[in-house]
Amino acid sequence: MRRVLLPALALSLGASAASAQSMRPFSTYRQWHGETRLDARLDYAAGALRLAAGRPTELYRMDVLYDGDRYLPVSDFDAAGGSVMLGLQAAGGGGLRVVSRSQLHQTASVTFSPNNDLTLAVTLGAVDGDLELGGLRLTDLALQAGASRATVRFSQPNATRCRAARFQAGAAELSVLGLGNSRCDRIAVEGGVGRVTLDFGGVWTSNSRVVVKMALGEVALRLPRQVGVRITLDRFLSTFEPQGLVRRGTSYLSPGYDQMSRHVDIDVTTAVGGVTLGWVGEGEVVR
Amino acid sequence: MSAHRRALAVVALLALMLPRGAYAANPIDPTGTRTVGLVHGFWTLVSKVSAPTGQDDGTQTPQPAPQAIPPAPDGTPAIKLDDLSKPTAIEAQLRSALRPRDGRLRATVAGGTARLGDFSIGSNESVPGHLLVVQGTADIYGRLLGNLVTVEGDVVLHPGAVVSGDILTLGGEVRDEGGEIGGEVRTFRTASVLEAPLRAVAPAPSAIATVFRRAAGVIGVFLTLCALGFGLVMFGRPNLEVVSDTVAHSFGRAFATGLVGQILLLPTFGMLVVGLILSVVGIVLLPFAVVVYALLVIVGVLGGYLAVAHAMGETYTRRRLALGAMIGSPNSYRYLLVGLGALAAFWMAWSIFGWVPVAGELIRGAAILVTWLLATAGFGAALLSRAGIRENFAGRLIPPEALTDEYLWATPQFGVTAAKRPGSRTPTRGL
Repeated sequence: MRRVLLPALALSLGASAASAQSMRPFSTYRQWHGETRLDARLDYAAGALRLAAGRPTELYRMDVLYDGDRYLPVSDFDAAGGSVMLGLQAAGGGGLRVVSRSQLHQTASVTFSPNNDLTLAVTLGAVDGDLELGGLRLTDLALQAGASRATVRFSQPNATRCRAARFQAGAAELSVLGLGNSRCDRIAVEGGVGRVTLDFGGVWTSNSRVVVKMALGEVALRLPRQVGVRITLDRFLSTFEPQGLVRRGTSYLSPGYDQMSRHVDIDVTTAVGGVTLGWVGEGEVVR
Repeated sequence: MSAHRRALAVVALLALMLPRGAYAANPIDPTGTRTVGLVHGFWTLVSKVSAPTGQDDGTQTPQPAPQAIPPAPDGTPAIKLDDLSKPTAIEAQLRSALRPRDGRLRATVAGGTARLGDFSIGSNESVPGHLLVVQGTADIYGRLLGNLVTVEGDVVLHPGAVVSGDILTLGGEVRDEGGEIGGEVRTFRTASVLEAPLRAVAPAPSAIATVFRRAAGVIGVFLTLCALGFGLVMFGRPNLEVVSDTVAHSFGRAFATGLVGQILLLPTFGMLVVGLILSVVGIVLLPFAVVVYALLVIVGVLGGYLAVAHAMGETYTRRRLALGAMIGSPNSYRYLLVGLGALAAFWMAWSIFGWVPVAGELIRGAAILVTWLLATAGFGAALLSRAGIRENFAGRLIPPEALTDEYLWATPQFGVTAAKRPGSRTPTRGL
């Protein structure tokens, strides 16, 4: 019996070695030719993603290591519209897809030029994302995260004023850090299930209105001390501890709200979960 | 060989094989240990011996002399390099177009030129149209008014060079030393454009290699099922036996139930998901419900299949016992082993004779059909018996009255026969 089993075991182990995965490296970039704006769309299905400001001489660049059996790289620039589509799209048609552990080994690094205005729309699937948007000239931001863990940072002030930033998270853990540096007039956050952390640190140069809607999960707010903060809550089965805030009507205000030159008004709607508060110092960005 | 030496041999064999599995993603690993190297060398030797002659993976293609690629014969579609935004599609197109014809490359680039070997554009030159360079470096000093594609070659943009369109390298890289690129640069550092034709004209793997590979797969699955089955016997023997008896006593009913169960799998899953979503509170349970549902299905199918194997083994063993054969330990482990062995025999037959034209496909089809049939019956039996909890269809429901000594002596206790027995009393008599 053993004489049969041992070679069989050896053969089965040997056969398993034949099923190696085909990871392919792919790079794409475009030289910067004095463009003043870029409308960028990034769709990334699975893996790790890093996004940051890149070389001024390159309008954009994407370096990706991807599963060649299941995904196709996308890199399509439309010169007439000044737009580019980047990312990885699933090969083949529709249907049920299961993201395996090996696909999560995909990596991508995407950079954009800090020279031109940037409208950025990012869609993430099962992604571990680190998006450093500080130093770019971001005019509009839309982020959709599926089953992702994404961290969006504004470590440096946005080089231009941002009209709006929209974050949508499904079953995700989303952290947006340094919103003061984003210089966005309107910020909207919609969360499904999971945890959303909004850090309002950074340098505030204008007023901002923030709308947060969370279905099930925790919303963690880190509030700045140097600007007036007003929180208006609409909650169902949620806990809230107004640490350091003063209640006025249906809202909670930070001390000296009326005397502050800059204001951040936050509307929070939660169904089930909790809203926690913390404070950050002037110019401080939690990392 | 003593037991100690056998154990050592097993450990040594595992030690030899496991590192190979770990290097599966990177099969070329010359820095491995000597043992791994020996195993790798042995495996390569076996592969070479089993492969037909004339096929040597170690041959390197020499760098071709710079030359123009002659145009493709009439009727052959031209290579279109107008749009490089879908690089994998271009790669597939080139893979087909650059297949050698009559032993040499022939290709036509629509609105452009095709070159083999190194190629350069001088600083005072301006080349209109697209450019395809195969197995060579494209050195650009001057102007290229179009797209540039290289296959197994780099692109070097020297200071002052201009490429008005896109650049795509398949199996190379772009070195920008100060040139100007009007379009987008896309780089695949690895590509299989020119390997594919070789692969296409290469003969299929030898029959021996195919048989070995398939046999290894069958044995691997057999061992896995054995391990699962033994675990099931160890921890859930009563349930396994009930499902097994259900298969044996109600095969038709179990098959029909399994068939209906397969058809209803997806609708039931959809209803479950929709129901949980509509209940709002159930949304929280949705991920767990999906996982549990999938697990239940897997357990049902796998457990049912093992129960079928158990039933087959039990039936076979009992028949042999009835014929007077001496069997050491007629227990559930043996039943499973025998049953799984019988089921694996179909697939083993395919692994051995699968390379035979027509007959191989027929054997494969039969193996698939039998496996599906038995898996369906097993799944149905698992459903009928509620995973071995319910014995209604297992043929075990004998009235307690029948389990008397008289029953064992085949003496009628009830009915007309019993009533007519001399000296017996009917239940009504005497009341």
